[in-house]
Amino acid sequence: MNEPRDIRVTINGEAYSISAAPNETLLDFLRYRRGLVGTKKGCDTGDCGSCTVLVDGKAVNSCLVLAVETNGASVTTIEGMISAGQLHPLQQAFIDHGAVQCGFCTPGMIMAAKFLLEEEPNPTEEDIRFAMAGNLCRCTGYVSIMKAIAAAGKALRGGK
Amino acid sequence: MSNDHKVIGRSVPRADSRSKVLGEAKYADDLSLPGMVYGKVLRSPHPHAHIRSIDTSRARDCSGVVAVLTAKDIPGERTMGPIIKDQPVLCSDVVRYVGDAVALVAAESERSAEEALAQIVVEYEALTPVLDPLKAMEPGAPQVHSRGNIGTHFKVRRGDVEAAFRDATVVVEKRFFYPRVEHAYMETEIALVAGDPSGGVTVWSSTQYPHLDREEVSRVLGLPQSRVRVHQMMTGGGFGGKLNPHAQCLAALIAWKTGRPAKLRYSREESLIASYKCHPYVIDMMLGANREGKLLAVGATLVGNTGAYLLQGRAVITKSATHVSGPYYIPNIKADAYAVFTNCVPCGAMRGYGVPQVAFALESLMDELAGRLGLDPIELRSRNALDTTLPNATGQIMRASVPIKEMLGRAKLTVQALRPLLEQAPESKRRGVGVACSTRGIGSIRKASRSTAVVGLHPDGSVTVACGHVDLGQGSNTMMAQVAAEELGVDVERVEVVTNDTAVAPDCESTSASRVTYLSGNAVRLAAAKTRLRVLELAAQDLGCAPEDLRLMNGSVVYREQGVRLAELFSKHTFHSMTSVAEFLPDTVPLDPETGQGAPAGTFNFNVHVALVEVDEGTGQVRVLRYVALTDVGRMINPLAVEGQVHGGMMMGLGSALMEEVRVEEGVINASFATYLIPTTFDVPQELVIEVVEDPEPTGPFGAKGFAEGSLDPVGATIANAVSNAIGVRINRLPMTGERIHELLHQRLA
Repeated sequence: MNEPRDIRVTINGEAYSISAAPNETLLDFLRYRRGLVGTKKGCDTGDCGSCTVLVDGKAVNSCLVLAVETNGASVTTIEGMISAGQLHPLQQAFIDHGAVQCGFCTPGMIMAAKFLLEEEPNPTEEDIRFAMAGNLCRCTGYVSIMKAIAAAGKALRGGK
Repeated sequence: MSNDHKVIGRSVPRADSRSKVLGEAKYADDLSLPGMVYGKVLRSPHPHAHIRSIDTSRARDCSGVVAVLTAKDIPGERTMGPIIKDQPVLCSDVVRYVGDAVALVAAESERSAEEALAQIVVEYEALTPVLDPLKAMEPGAPQVHSRGNIGTHFKVRRGDVEAAFRDATVVVEKRFFYPRVEHAYMETEIALVAGDPSGGVTVWSSTQYPHLDREEVSRVLGLPQSRVRVHQMMTGGGFGGKLNPHAQCLAALIAWKTGRPAKLRYSREESLIASYKCHPYVIDMMLGANREGKLLAVGATLVGNTGAYLLQGRAVITKSATHVSGPYYIPNIKADAYAVFTNCVPCGAMRGYGVPQVAFALESLMDELAGRLGLDPIELRSRNALDTTLPNATGQIMRASVPIKEMLGRAKLTVQALRPLLEQAPESKRRGVGVACSTRGIGSIRKASRSTAVVGLHPDGSVTVACGHVDLGQGSNTMMAQVAAEELGVDVERVEVVTNDTAVAPDCESTSASRVTYLSGNAVRLAAAKTRLRVLELAAQDLGCAPEDLRLMNGSVVYREQGVRLAELFSKHTFHSMTSVAEFLPDTVPLDPETGQGAPAGTFNFNVHVALVEVDEGTGQVRVLRYVALTDVGRMINPLAVEGQVHGGMMMGLGSALMEEVRVEEGVINASFATYLIPTTFDVPQELVIEVVEDPEPTGPFGAKGFAEGSLDPVGATIANAVSNAIGVRINRLPMTGERIHELLHQRLA
């Protein structure tokens, strides 16, 4: 029953055929097997959001998803946010607005915010509060994070 | 105020933010070493018990297990701690709280280590626990340690309190309860330790004080401190909680005994159960004033539940007692503060360090007193506020940078502006406005502490700063870079700050007590100024002018619009880099142990906060709608970082005010983020305004002083005063959960 299973998964645009134990979480798989340590383990029980990644474009707590469940899926982690050496507008906005302090929640915050802005390119403040309520931060008090997300949304819309 | 500085006072994004948004910044759990083993800790299920025996034989036979260790395997000291070193690394005879460490497993995987824990057989003989600090103080109470349950008693005595209360027109008194709060850093405790060829060990850890990690690991392993090197990794939050290097000592023990690198990471549940918390307090306070609203006396008994070990309890309760009169002049003071042992989870340092607790009591009584005197709460505060001539509770007179009266004046305008909103409460909601103040001495309260910095200017004009105060996310490395850049005439990007390696950075005591900007800002400034002067003197000698005629700019010495490159100057004078060391030690007077009088801090921070809240009559839920934090920083070095500290401190305080309490029934019963709730985006006020007040501190670097904890200190009191204003009932217990407020509302209506 605990025999590893073969799965095919695309991670940050690259296709992998790998084997994963059936009890291995996507978080542990990414961090400890693939070395994608940008995704953080804050609670391992789905309460803090530090491990948020995108699976087929949707934000999930990777500690609550088994690696084998991502068979055939496309996973995006924080390491996949930079393209052609350019920071994603969310990353730049987090820097500019002081939305980063200790930085431990930052990758999860950015991934959750990416999902929000794809679903709702022009979010209201309430939309932002709602989308980010599952991502805990103890340093920033969230104010600069919410500002950064609004600013990134604006940048992605071409400044409108 | 004119700002003729190039870098100071400008918003600079933190130096490591790029690596953090990319996911490239390395935290301790992001490191792995070849041959690494994983540690897991067996913890006591009993609040108080004798250990009869520990049988590790079955666990040793489990698959993947490399070693099972107990106290007898410790080569050096068997207890550790941040200040008072009274916590067993591993218990051998008695366990004193649910979560006390008993045995340690090292295995090839975290899972194997965890599974083997269940195979360790410990025979306990249960002892009667004591959980309530007031009961623990009674004669005949179960004894947590043989020395008695009162860990420390600290006194403040001034004037004649009894006579002053007799003379007072109005006296108010109440018992207050402040909750046990969890730091809830997003990254749990973690360390990785490996032996090195010199016969020492190297530690990579999440820590607020790498040199303390060095000290404790060296004590526990019986090694000289010089053979322990600690690298502070990116630290995922501290807030006072990462000052007890227990995980470091345990990982070091495994590495030492197995000869393999060892990683030990607390689970979230373990972090909530076992690591120390913010002290819960029971405070009996009495406050008296004359008819004109002049405060005459304060009397207080402050009982801090320090749990199973004292660790920092002595310093925390000293901080509380010495801040018992807040930012007010009160001529007669009698305060007795106790750190009391119980069989609860230990308590230690947390942002605020005893000040939020005492501010909650004092500021609540100030409002009550204002009501009794028929005075506006801000007016009462203004009539008693400190200035540069009046002494605080320890008798210290601050000669400058005491802007509390100006801040209260601004708070008055804020309250006036919020008043119309009070009338706009929706049906079945009540609104209220509240104000509270705080002050805090910057730095350690019980002993002076010194910071040391090394600043090297290189021939290419770049700069290296080495200083032992680490950055936990608050931005202190960026602050140090700004200070050095300003002194040495370079761009801030040209300054590299090294704080995170004990082999390079001098020990400056912990990153705590809001001390880093004031102490290390000064040390870096002095060292940079010394370096600058030495360079200018060399050049002045060559040019036949005075050093004052010269300045440094982008790697050159500039003289009458002509530049001499540093590379050229250094080479000529046989220098490679120009490196200087400087220390800063504030001018302080130690506290008298009998009266608590002295001048323990080099500077003080002041805060005045205003909240507008809305209470749901049906559920008792409190929402903070508007919040204004008037914040005294002396002078801002990095406005972006100031904003971040105030936002974060305020929201952490909101958590203590409205929802957070680590509940102990034998052990911690709410040991997850599903049951221990901290604020989320939903709890952020619609408006959270920071009004920075700049009244430069003459002894601070460029006029700056510390303020980071001050952003939390008055929050509980401010929100409680606003809720009282909304529902017409005084609040004496935090957190103000919906359940508690609902109960108060209905008691009142009944």
